This record gives sequence, structure tokens and C-alpha cells, in this order.
Amino acid sequence: MSATQTTPTVATEDAPASRLSRISRLQALQILILLVVTIAVFTALRPDTFLTGFNIRGIVQNTAIYAVLGVGMTFVIITGGIDLSVGSVLVFSGVVADKVMVWYGGQGWATVLVGLVAALASGLAWGLVNGVLVAKAKVPPLVVTLGSLSAALGFAQIITKGLDLRDAPQALVNDIGFGNIVGQVPTIAVVAAVVVVFGIVLLHRTRFGLYTYAIGSNAEAGRRSGVKVERHLIKVYAFAGLLAGFAGLLNLGFFQSTTIGGQSNTPLNVIAGVAIGGTSLFGGIGSVFGTVIGLFIPIVLQNGFIQVGVQPFWQQVVVGAVLVAVVYVDQLRRAAALRGTSPRLPFLSRAGGAGSASRKGSA
Amino acid sequence: MKRKSTVIVAVLAAVALGAAACGSDSDGGSNAGGGSDGYELAFVQGVAGDAFYITMECGIKEEAAKQGATVTVQGAQKFDPTLQTPVLQSVIASKPDAILIAPTDVAAMQQPIAQAKAQGIKIVLVDTTLNDPSVAVSAISSDNSAGGKAAFEAIQKLAPNGGKVLGVGVQPGISTTDARDKGFADAAKADSKFTYLGVQYSQNDPAKAASIVSAALQKDPDIVGIFASNLFSAQGSATGIRQAGKQGQVNVVGFDAGPEQIKALQDGTVQALIAQQPGDIGVQGVQQAVKALKGEANEANIQTGSTIITKDTIDSPEGKAAAYKASC
Repeated sequence: MSATQTTPTVATEDAPASRLSRISRLQALQILILLVVTIAVFTALRPDTFLTGFNIRGIVQNTAIYAVLGVGMTFVIITGGIDLSVGSVLVFSGVVADKVMVWYGGQGWATVLVGLVAALASGLAWGLVNGVLVAKAKVPPLVVTLGSLSAALGFAQIITKGLDLRDAPQALVNDIGFGNIVGQVPTIAVVAAVVVVFGIVLLHRTRFGLYTYAIGSNAEAGRRSGVKVERHLIKVYAFAGLLAGFAGLLNLGFFQSTTIGGQSNTPLNVIAGVAIGGTSLFGGIGSVFGTVIGLFIPIVLQNGFIQVGVQPFWQQVVVGAVLVAVVYVDQLRRAAALRGTSPRLPFLSRAGGAGSASRKGSA
Repeated sequence: MKRKSTVIVAVLAAVALGAAACGSDSDGGSNAGGGSDGYELAFVQGVAGDAFYITMECGIKEEAAKQGATVTVQGAQKFDPTLQTPVLQSVIASKPDAILIAPTDVAAMQQPIAQAKAQGIKIVLVDTTLNDPSVAVSAISSDNSAGGKAAFEAIQKLAPNGGKVLGVGVQPGISTTDARDKGFADAAKADSKFTYLGVQYSQNDPAKAASIVSAALQKDPDIVGIFASNLFSAQGSATGIRQAGKQGQVNVVGFDAGPEQIKALQDGTVQALIAQQPGDIGVQGVQQAVKALKGEANEANIQTGSTIITKDTIDSPEGKAAAYKASC
């Protein structure tokens, strides 16, 4: 929308940028196919247990919290940054929400609402700290968020003296954490889906999203074409923090515990999902949809391997190998695209529309 | 170019298929025989690759073989409810007749385990338990409080003049280690010759246990005894004492008797071990599960004992029997 009105600087960048975004969409599609194949394989191996309502419900529930974190992480990584603090911010926000809900009292929706405000505020506060340090103080995001990873967890432990809190109100646990919105559709997954759709719209259909891509592709070019880079970076990290805070409340509902010791691998799992989903860790390319599919793959693999009876340690090896292989294939295709050869995959070659457009772009 | 990426995708798919197929081979027989009287059991460990749970697994497999049942074993990479929940959920989806599980949190695992019960699966809690253990047909665990008391008795013998004692725990909220820590604390407080310095939590991380112990020795250089209430805490505590150069002065009593701890006991870095009976827990767990499946009455609570192993008893037949196994 706003792209059509911008200065010529952006217009000249438009052709390659849109081609790259097309590639990232292709990547998301390819990942989707990998997911479908994985599901098909496990369904064939365990026809009576894998594709059951109970199992699908479980997989979706287990992905929900990661998906909420993944939306924020996608934005941060598209700017060329990283956020290692999401797990700790999640814990911290859960702790603050728990304390505030105990102070407010009650087991109903009013208490949950108060907790929600507390969780969002705590997450937002950490996001702002990250954003200001990255954008204004120019400390590398890896270092800033490594610092807040440690500090947020430390504060959570100071508040709780290291003891997990377990005071989630009944409405949060029974209706959001383990409840169904209709039939067997888990509420937590619907909540996460709403966040994901919001993220997709924000990234692909608004100026906020456009600026996010612009900073990641070339911050200097963005600045010269009128993007307030520093302010936008702060907003992106604040958004990621806000979502981590929200995830903290969901986590409290799902585990009925602040899981202080349990989130150390969360940021890495989320980053892996973002990378599998086709978002470039160098910034400028990526999609929220890809991230969601990328988060599903390790969880579906783990679920399937457990049902098939693969030894636990092999599950880690395979998930690691898939991560590297998928990103490698993506890299090959991207390199090919930059050389001007067609990035299309053979099985997509009949969808002529996209192909001819990309050829026009390279001419 | 096109061909290359196609090949890679194909290889990926083949690897996934191959891995999956291998796995299915190993328990292919269980599905075939599942229909008749051979029950399918699943064992969800607290953490994968821990000698305690491996020894329990050995007990479970042995007893299951006797009862004509098959067992699949799964565990998460860390002792952590956020990792155990998806593992348990996948196990439930594979529809075993009964699940033996060591819950990693008294509250967080309550709902996921209740879901298993709702699917008609019989639950046996092994080693750890829940806030409301009534979802399970039986809960089998070591008498952990008595184990903690035994750890203090071991320190009393090793340091008869008394002094400061410290606890190194895992993390709060685990029923078994909480009970051990409490058993130890109560016994230590009851003896006026000893000063109890409280318990520090290692989050099941040996590196963290090491830094806790070396920091504690900076503050109180005259500590005479440390009770490390699980495997990794004991490993880390021994490292921390070595860092501080206090070998010989500080007596470490470890809980559990994995191969590393037996080695540490032989080397003299740990002075006593409180061995539980994980194999026995496993055997009784299978017996209770099968009883429940046959519709027989269950014992809701079973407690198993513990053994103190010191350097003197380590090579005795009892000491050898009490040590945990690294593989079945």
C-alpha cells in the first residue's frame, strides 16, 4: 500500500526485494510440503494412533506457546537481530502475573484479565529495555538479549526465591490452558492462531511490516528513505517482549507453574522454528506463516518418533539434522536466485504465473 | 540446480522414513501380539539417560517379560515438565494399556496425567508423585524422608564432632527430593552438634552445583558435610569441593548410586551414598499396572527402602547389588 507512494530509492529496490519475498513464500510452501510428508509417513506407520483427534489436539497445544513467541521472533530476526531473552521474559512475566493475580484474588475472569495486563506490561518492559539497548546504545542484539536472558530469569528467581509459583486461577487453567473453545478445539491453540494471523497481517499488510523488512534488507537505505530506524527497532523488540509476556500467561495456564527452571531451551527452539520456516538470520527475508510450520516440524517429528518407538536420543539428532538440511536447501535456492537462475522447484513448475513474473523481474 | 535441491529433499524424506522404519522394526512384534493378553506398557522416565531410570527400566522390562507384557520407554532430555508434557502426550496418543511415569512436577504434570486417565489408560506413578495421586492406581516410591535421615546419619558417623552441614537440592517442587531435603534438614536440626545451613538448588545442573558448593565454601570454610540429594547435584558438589581444595575436610553424602558415584566413592571424592532401589520400584510398578489391567485390587501406596553404601561396604555383595546399572 504505502510502497507505491515511496521515493524512487525504494522503487529501484523493489524488483529484487519482491523476488526475494517470493522465494521466502516458496520456502514456506516447501516446508509445508515437508510437514505434510512427515505427517503422511507417521500416519502410514501408525494409522490408528497418529492422525487421531487426541493426538492432533496435543500437537497443536504443544506448539501454541512456541507460536506466540515465534511471531515476535520472526519480526526481530527479519530486522537482522535476535532475541535470546524470550524464555526468561516468559518466566518473568508469568511470575509477575502470578503475584498480581494472587494479590487481586479470586479464580474468575477478572483475575485473569488483571494477570493479562500484568504479564503484557512485564513483557513490554523487557522488550523496551532490549530495544533501547539495541537501537540507541548500539549493543549487538545477541549480547543485549543474552544479558536480559540472564537478568530476567534472575529477577524471577529473586521474586520467587527460586520456588515455582503455582497460583494460576481456575479460569486460566481450565478454560484457556486445557479448555476447548468448541468440541475438541483447544482454546490455547485458537488464542495462538489469533496472534499468528495478527502477526501475518502486521508483517505483510502494514507499514510496520514493510519497515521491518526494510531495516533488515538495508538499514541505511531504509533510513535514507525516511524510516526512523532506531524508533522502529525499539518497537520491534517491544513487540517481541509483549508477546513473550503474553506467552508467560498462557504458560501459566498450561503448566499451572511458572516453570522457572524449564525455559532454558525455549529461545533456541523458537529460533530453530523461525530458521526452518525460511526466515533468513541475516534479516530482510521471512514470513510468520513459515515460522509456524517450522515450529510444527520438530514437534511432529518428536511426537511421531515417540509413537513409533525411536530411542529418545535419536530424536534430537534427527531434529538437528532436519534444521541444518532445510536451511541448506533454502540457502542453495537463494544463491541460485541471486545468480538469476530460476528458484522454482520442479514440482511447482506448472504454476506458470509466479515463474514468468520472476523472469520478468530478472530481465 | 533444480535437480540438486530435489535430490536433497528426497534424501531428507528417505532419512526420515528410514529412521522411522528402523524404530518400527524393533517393536513390530508388540503390535501383532497386542490384541490378546500381552499388555502394552509404556514407561515415561523423569529424564533420559540417567542410571536411576535405566535401572528402573531394567526392573520394568524384566518383570514385564515375566508377565508377558511389552514395554516402550521414552523420556525427555531434561528433568523438566515443559519437556515431559509433549513426550507424555505422544505416549498417550499411541494408546498403551498402562503408563508408568515419573512425574517431573507435582502440579504441572497433574493435568497431562489426568488426560491419560481420561483416555482409559491405567497410571502407575513410579518414584515421584503428584499433588493428587488419586489419578494413579498406585504410587511407588522410595521412602525419601527416611533416605534423607539416613544421609544425615552417614554424616554423623563421618564427622562425629559435629559442624556445619549444607544441602544441595535439585529444584523445589519435586516430591522426592523435597522429602529427602526435609528428612535431612529435620535430622540435622535435631542434633545440637550440627548447624544446618539450609538447602541450595542446582536445577539438576552439575556446573551449577559446583559453583554453589565452591561459593558456600568461600562463605563457610568450615563446612563438614554436604548432602547432595540427587545424581547431578552430587557430581557437581564433588567438583566444587575439589575447586576449593577442601578434599578430606568436607564429607559429601550423595543420593543414588550410579556408576559415576560408585567411582567417586572409590576415588574418595564422595564419602557415602544413599542407594535407592529403582529396580524394585520398576518391578512393583509393573505388578501394580498388570493387577489394575486385570481388574484386581491395587495397593495405592508402596514405599521401598534404601541402603547406605560407604567405601567399606562398596565391594560387599549387598553394596554391589545396591549399585545402579548403566545398561540392562
